[in-house]
Amino acid sequence: MTIKSGYFKKHLHVDLSQGKAQRLDLEDEFLEKYIGGRGFGAKLVWDNLNKHDFNINPLGPENLMVIASGPLTGVYLPSSGKCSFVAISPATKMYGDSSAGGSFGVELRQTGIDVLSIDGKASKLSVLFIDDEETSIIPMPELKGKTCLETEGAILEHLGTHAVHVAAIGIAGENLVSFACINTDWSRNAGRTGIGAIMGSKNLKAIVVRGHKDIPIHDISSQVKEADKAYAYMANHKYFKLWQEQGLMNVIEYANENGILPSYNFRDSVYAKHEQINGTEMVDHYKIGDSACFSCSMSCGNICLVKNGKYTGTVTEGPEYESCAMLGSNLGIDNFAAILSANKLCDELGLDTISTGNLIGAVIEGYEQGILTLSDIDDQKISWGDEDAILDLISKIAHRDGIGGILADGSLKVIERWPEMEKLLLHVKGLEQSAYDSRAGISMGLAYATSDIGAHHTRAWTIAKEMEEGQNWSDEEKVDTVIYHQTLRPLFDMFGVCRLPWIELGLNERHYENFYRYVTGNDATLEELLDRSRDIYDLTRLINVGMGVSRKDDTLPYKVYARPALTGPNAGKVIDRDAFQKLLSLYYQKRGWSEDGIPSDDLKNKF
Amino acid sequence: MINSIKVMNLCMSKKLTVIPEQCSGCKICELVCSINHFGVNNPKKAAIRVIITYPHPVMRMPVVCGHCKVPTCVEVCPVDALSRKDGIVQLDKEICISCYKCIGACPFGAIYAHEDCDYPIHCDMCGGDPECIKKCPKGALRLIPEAALGESKRLNNVLSYTQMKEIEFYEKGEKKTIHYAEIGKEEL
Repeated sequence: MTIKSGYFKKHLHVDLSQGKAQRLDLEDEFLEKYIGGRGFGAKLVWDNLNKHDFNINPLGPENLMVIASGPLTGVYLPSSGKCSFVAISPATKMYGDSSAGGSFGVELRQTGIDVLSIDGKASKLSVLFIDDEETSIIPMPELKGKTCLETEGAILEHLGTHAVHVAAIGIAGENLVSFACINTDWSRNAGRTGIGAIMGSKNLKAIVVRGHKDIPIHDISSQVKEADKAYAYMANHKYFKLWQEQGLMNVIEYANENGILPSYNFRDSVYAKHEQINGTEMVDHYKIGDSACFSCSMSCGNICLVKNGKYTGTVTEGPEYESCAMLGSNLGIDNFAAILSANKLCDELGLDTISTGNLIGAVIEGYEQGILTLSDIDDQKISWGDEDAILDLISKIAHRDGIGGILADGSLKVIERWPEMEKLLLHVKGLEQSAYDSRAGISMGLAYATSDIGAHHTRAWTIAKEMEEGQNWSDEEKVDTVIYHQTLRPLFDMFGVCRLPWIELGLNERHYENFYRYVTGNDATLEELLDRSRDIYDLTRLINVGMGVSRKDDTLPYKVYARPALTGPNAGKVIDRDAFQKLLSLYYQKRGWSEDGIPSDDLKNKF
Repeated sequence: MINSIKVMNLCMSKKLTVIPEQCSGCKICELVCSINHFGVNNPKKAAIRVIITYPHPVMRMPVVCGHCKVPTCVEVCPVDALSRKDGIVQLDKEICISCYKCIGACPFGAIYAHEDCDYPIHCDMCGGDPECIKKCPKGALRLIPEAALGESKRLNNVLSYTQMKEIEFYEKGEKKTIHYAEIGKEEL
C-alpha cells in the first residue's frame, strides 16, 4: 500500500532558541503508520523523549510541542476543521493532547505542511508567522498581558488583514497555569492538558498562519460524492435541527435526566435548577447567532449575548455543555448570564473551563467543610452560586494571585498543599474530570482511569450505553466497549476531523474509510485504520510508562469510590474498588499489557 | 432547449441573496465553489468568501458578486472582458489580461485572485443553479426573484411594530397566542 496523495509530505520544525525554521520531508511509511493529528504528535513526542532519555521538564525548552492536522483536515466532508496540539503536559507530566476546531488547522495545512513542531525558547515574547513558504519569528513584547481575544485583534490590526488564522494564549498561558489553553479563531480552544502553558514557557504568544495551497486529494470526484451522501444523511437526521439550534447545550437536559450532570462539585448528579441553565434557556434569551467549524453543517457553536442585568454586553461563543456544567451547576450557579460571563472570562484569560470548574468547586466545598480556612482563601469568602467571588477567583488563577497561585498548578499541587483536598478533587493523574459523572457507570470510570491524558471523556464515552443498558452487560463487554471507543475516537483526531457527526448523529464510520481512501489513495480498510489507532494508544501508554505511570495511577477520584450522589436516578451509587480492579486487570489483559499496566518490550520496537 | 430557456429565465429574474443572520461561517460555500470551478479542494480559489468579524461586531457574511445592474467592474475593464448578459456579469477569459482593475473597482470586494489562476475569480452563477446555494446547510444563501427582494425585511419590520400586543387564549383546551396592533391609542 502506498500514499498517493492527501499529504504535502512536509514537516516544519521551528527552534525558537536558535530562531530557525526548517522544512523536512516526511516518508510514506511515517504517513501511513501515524496517519496525522495526534498520531504524528505522539510519534514526534516519543522520539524527542528518547532523545532526552525521558528526562523532560514539561515547561522546559526541551519539551517538543507538536501541532498537526490530518489528511482529512480541510477536505469537503462533514466537520473537517480539526487540529491536534500535542506535548508532554505540565498538569500530568505525561502525554497530553487537545484538539481545536475552527479553521486554524485548515489554514496551517494550506501553507503546505502536515505537521509543525516547536522546541526551544524565544528570548522575548514572540509570535510565529507562517505565510505559505515563509516562516518568521517576530518578537512582539507589546502583547504581554493581553487576553486571547485582544492578542488576536492586535495581530490582525498589526497585519491589516482579517484573512489569517491565529492560535494565541492569554494571561494564563503566559503565567504557566497548568491548565492554560490555546485559543484559535477567537473562541475555538485546545482546552485540555495545559498545552497553552507550553507555549507560554517558550515565550510564544501566538502562531499566525496564512496558506493558499490546494489540499491534495487523490480522487476528488469520488470524495465529493461520498461527502454529499454524508451531508445528506446528517441533514435528514431527526436531531439535526436540534444540533443547529442548541449545539452541545442540548446535553444539559440529557445529563440531568440521566443523573450524570455534575452539581455542587459532583456532590450531586442532578441539578434542581437545570431549566435555568439549559439549551432552551440559552436559545430563548441569549443566542444571537450560530457558529460552525470549517465545513460543518451541524454548527454546534452558539454566539450568545447578555441583553440585560449586570452582565449586559457580554458576548461570547458558548458556553457548550462541559463549560456550562462545570462553571454552572457544578458551582451552584443558576444564572445563565453569569455562566456566560465566566465562560467568556476563561476564554479571554485562556483557561480550560473544565479544570477551572473542578478546582473552584473543590475550593468552595473545601471552605464549606473547613479543610480550607478563610486565610487560605485570601480572606474572601466563597460559597455555592456566589457569582462575584467565583469570577474573581477565575481571574486570580490566571494571574497567580493568592490562592490562585496554588490552583494554577492544578489538582496535584493543591493536594500537596492540603492533603485533605484529595477527597474533594476529581482528577485522574492530575487532569481534572470532565462533566460526566461516572459513579453510575463503571465503564465510564474505566474510561477515565485509562484515558491516556487523564480524566477526560475524549477517548471513551460509554456513559450513554451505561444509561441505556443499566448494569446488565458483562465485564467483558464493558472492557471491549471502552477499548473500541479508545481506538475509534482517537482515529478522528488522527484524521483531523470532528467525531460529533458520528457519535451524535450516527454517521456511519465506514464513510471515513472511504474518505481516507479517496483522499490518500491508500486502500486501508476501517479495521486496518483502527489497528493503526490502537498502535498509537500503545505508543501513548509507552510515553506515559516512560514518564513513570503504572497501575497505581490508573485509578479514580476518591468521591467516585466513596461519596455517592445524593439525589436523582443514580443516588447512592459508587464504583466498588474491587470490581474496578477486576475490570482493570481484564482491560490490561485485552490490551496485551502486563498486570502492572506495562506494554511489552516488543511493542517498544514497533515505534 | 426548453430547459436551457428555463434556466436563463431563472437567471434573469432571480438574485443570489445573502442572509448574513443565518450564516454559521462553515465555509462549505467556498469549498463547493472551488471544487465546482477548479476541480480542487481550496477555499482560496472560491468566488465566494465568508468574512467573520468578532467580537465587535459579531458578523458572519458571505461576500459574493451581486451582478449589479450598473457594474463598476465592467466599466473599468480596459479590454471589455467583462460584460453583463442575461442578468449575469460574465468574464471572457480569452480577452482578460488579468490587470485586476475589476478587483479594485468592486465596491464589495467580491472579485478574488489567486497566484495559480490566470484571471480574476468571479461568480458565474454556475450557469443559473449556484452550487453554494444548494449546499449551504443554513439557508443563508438564496435565489430570490428581484421583485421579492426586501420582503423578509419588510415583514420583520411590520412584526416588530412597537405597539404590537399579545393575548393568550385557549382553543379546544390548547394554549395559543394572538398578536394584534393596537392603533389610534397613542399620539405619534
